[in-house]
Amino acid sequence: MKMTPSLIVGGSVAIFASVLYIAVLLPWSTTTREPSDIFRWRTPLEERGRQLYVNNNCSTCHSQFIRPIDWGLGAERIAQAGDYIDERPHLLGTQRTGPDLSQAGGEHPDDWHLAHFINPRYVRPESLMPSWEFLGMENIEALIAYVQSLGFKMADYRMERQRYWKEKAIEAYEAGTDANVAWLHERVPKPWRNLPNPYGTTEAGLKRGQKIYQGFCIGCHGPIGDGMGPAAPYLYPPPLNFTTLKGRGVSGGILYYYIMNGITGTAMPYFKRDLESEKIWDVGNYVATHFIGETDAGQPPKGIEASYEPPYGENPYGGEEPRRER
Amino acid sequence: MKFEFLKEEPHGTTKAFFLSSAVWMVLGTTFGFIGAIQLVAPELLANIPWVVFSRIRPMHTNAVIFGFVGSGLIGCAHYLVYTLLRSPLYSEKMGKLTVWMWNLAVLFGSLTLSRGYSQTREYAEWIWPIDILVLAALALMFYNLFQTARRRQEKLLYVSVWYVFAGLVFTFFIYFFGNAVWNPATGSITGMPDGILAWFYGHGIVGLFLTPLAVAIAYYVIPIVCRVPLYSHTLSLLGFWSILMIYTHIGAHHILQAPTPTWLKVIAITGSVAMLLPVSAVLVNLWLTMRGRVANMHATIGGKFVFAGTLWYLLTCLQGPLQSLPSVQKVTHFNNWVVAHAHMGVLGFSGVIALGGIYFILPRITGRSLHSEFLAEMQYWLVLVGMAGFFTVLTVAGLIQGHGWLQGETVYRMLPQIHIYMVLRLAIGVLIVSGAILGLYNIFMTLHGSRGKEGSS
Repeated sequence: MKMTPSLIVGGSVAIFASVLYIAVLLPWSTTTREPSDIFRWRTPLEERGRQLYVNNNCSTCHSQFIRPIDWGLGAERIAQAGDYIDERPHLLGTQRTGPDLSQAGGEHPDDWHLAHFINPRYVRPESLMPSWEFLGMENIEALIAYVQSLGFKMADYRMERQRYWKEKAIEAYEAGTDANVAWLHERVPKPWRNLPNPYGTTEAGLKRGQKIYQGFCIGCHGPIGDGMGPAAPYLYPPPLNFTTLKGRGVSGGILYYYIMNGITGTAMPYFKRDLESEKIWDVGNYVATHFIGETDAGQPPKGIEASYEPPYGENPYGGEEPRRER
Repeated sequence: MKFEFLKEEPHGTTKAFFLSSAVWMVLGTTFGFIGAIQLVAPELLANIPWVVFSRIRPMHTNAVIFGFVGSGLIGCAHYLVYTLLRSPLYSEKMGKLTVWMWNLAVLFGSLTLSRGYSQTREYAEWIWPIDILVLAALALMFYNLFQTARRRQEKLLYVSVWYVFAGLVFTFFIYFFGNAVWNPATGSITGMPDGILAWFYGHGIVGLFLTPLAVAIAYYVIPIVCRVPLYSHTLSLLGFWSILMIYTHIGAHHILQAPTPTWLKVIAITGSVAMLLPVSAVLVNLWLTMRGRVANMHATIGGKFVFAGTLWYLLTCLQGPLQSLPSVQKVTHFNNWVVAHAHMGVLGFSGVIALGGIYFILPRITGRSLHSEFLAEMQYWLVLVGMAGFFTVLTVAGLIQGHGWLQGETVYRMLPQIHIYMVLRLAIGVLIVSGAILGLYNIFMTLHGSRGKEGSS
C-alpha cells in the first residue's frame, strides 16, 4: 500500500464519517424521545439551578443514573432513557465522590440543603464536597430548587411529604418540649417504644458509638448533644437537645427507630442506608449514656442472651438495678 | 532585544511548543495538586471560588491534555514532518501563530473555568469561543503541515507522518462534533444521545489526538536511537488503519451501565477488546525494532523516556479492554480505579513520550546538548516513580470503593476508607509537580540559557 498524503487524509475522513454514523448518528436517531412515567419539565428556577450545576461541574463527583447493582441514595428506580429527554448537556457523570443525585429531590427538606451548601460538613461531617457559600444566597436557592426537582414526579411526591411533615413537626416543636417529646413518642410503633437496647453497655461499644456520632450526628446535635452543632442556625425546627430528655422515657427502641427512619420534614435524615443494626444500637446507646444520662441498654426483656456479651449491669448510668433472669 | 510576536527562526514553532508544554506541565500538574489537596482537607481552601475542586479538576484535565501533552506532541509532530519529508516548514510565521492560538486557548480555557464558565462535559468543558480558537489552531496546523508535505523532497512517507496527519484530521473532526460547536450556548445535543456523543469525543480526544501523535514520536525515535530500520512495514500499516477503525467506536464503554442502546454497548465492548490488535501491532513492531538494543534506548534520556512510554502504553492498553467488560465495571466504574487508568494513559504513556520527544529533539534543534542531563534524569525518575505510585494508590482506593459499594455501603461510608490513599496520592503528587518544575527549568535553560547564546544571537 503506497501511503500518500491524500490517501491518509481521505482515508481518515472516510473512516471518521462512517464511525460517526454508526456510533453517534444511529443511536441519536433511534433513541427514544418519549418521556418516561416520572418525567416532567423543569421550572425556570430549577433550570437556573441546573445551569449553576453545569457551570460548576458538579457532575465531577455526582453521577445521575442508577444502575441495577446500586445501593444507596436514589436506588429505588433504575434509570430509563426516557428520564433524560430534556438533558442538555447530559449530566450522567463518571465519578461518585458524592452520591448519585438522579433521585435526590425530596430526600431532605430545603433547610438541610441550605446548611449543606453553606458547608457540607455541617450536616455530613465526613463529606469531601466544597463549601458553596461564596455563590451567595440567591444562587444557593436556585441550586436547592434544582436538587429538589431531581427525580421529577417522584421528587415532587417526596417534596409534598416533606412539606406536610414539616408543618406537623413545627407545630409540635412550638408546643414546648413536653408536647414535642410526646408527639415524637406517639409516632413510634408501640413494640419499638417498649424495646430496650439489646446490647449491653461496653466501653468498646460506646467508643464505636462515639465514632459514628462524630461521623453522622455531630454537625446538628453538637459535640455535647445539646443540639447546638454548626448546622443548627440554619435548621427549623432545630436539632433535638438530648440533654433535656432524662426521665422522659426515651427507650433504646425509640432512638433506634428515629435514627433508622429519620423525622421527615425536619433536617433529621434516615440513616438506614448508611448504618445498620449494631451500628445504630451503638450510636443510640452513646447518645443515651453520654447526653441523655440514662440508658436501658442490656436490660430486660432481653430474650436469649447473646453468647459474646458481658454480664448485665456494668453500666454506671443504668436506671435500674442489674437483674439476671434465669 | 525587541520582542517579536511572530518571530521567524529555525525550528521556532517546535521550540515554542516545547516551552509551552513545559509551562503547562507545571501549571497543569499544580492544578491537579490543588484538587488533590481538597480531597484530603476540604476545608483548607474553602470558599476560594477560583480553585474550588469541581472547577480546578477540569482546569487540570484540560491543561494537561491540551497544554502539557498536546503542546509537546504537536511540537514534536512539526519537527517530525519537516525532517522526515526533508522540506522546511511551509510557514514559520503561521507556525508561531498556531503556538499563540493554542496557548491562548488553554489560558483562557483555564481562566473561564476558574470563573465558573463551563459546558461541563468531560474534556469539552471549555466554552464556545475557546472551542473555535482550538479548531482554528488545529486547522492552521494542518494546513501548514500539509503544505509542507506538498513541497517535500522525500517521496516516501514514513509511518510517523501518517500518524501525524491522521491524528490532526481526527482531532479536528472529533473536537468539532464532540463540542457540538453548532450549539454555542450549551456545546451539546439533547438527552441520552448527548452522553453518547460526549463519550465518543471524550474517549476519542485521548485515543485519536494523544495516541497517534505519541505513537508517531515512538516510531521516529526508536529506529534512530537503535540505528536499525523499522521491523515491519506491514505491521505499521496494520496498526495504523486498525487503530483508526477500532478506537473510534468504543467511547460508549464510559457509560456502559447507563440506559444506552444494547447494540451500542456490544460494539463498545467488542471494540474495546479488539483494541488489543492495533496496540499489539504497534508495540510488537516497535519492540522488535529495538530487539537486542534496549541498552541503546537507555543511553540517551530521550530514548529512555520513549521506552518507558511504550511500557505504559502496554499497561494502559491491557487494562482498557479488561475494564470495558461489564463484570469488571461492576467493581471499577465510578471510582478511583478509572482515575488511575486515565493518569496512565495521559501521563504515563503520551506525556512520557512527549517528554521523550522533547528531550530527543531539543539537542538537534538547538545544536547543543541539554542544559542538564542530570535534571532530565531526575525528572525521568520523579515522573516514573510518581506515575507508578499514582497507579498503585488510586487503583487500591478504587477497588476499596467499588467493592464497598457492591456490598451495599453508601458512597459517604466509603469516604473515610479511602482517606489514607488520598493522602498518599497528594504526597506522590509532590514528585510529579517537582518533576514538572525541573523540566521547565531545564527546557527553558536549554533554549534560552546564557550558555547557548553563541548559536542564536
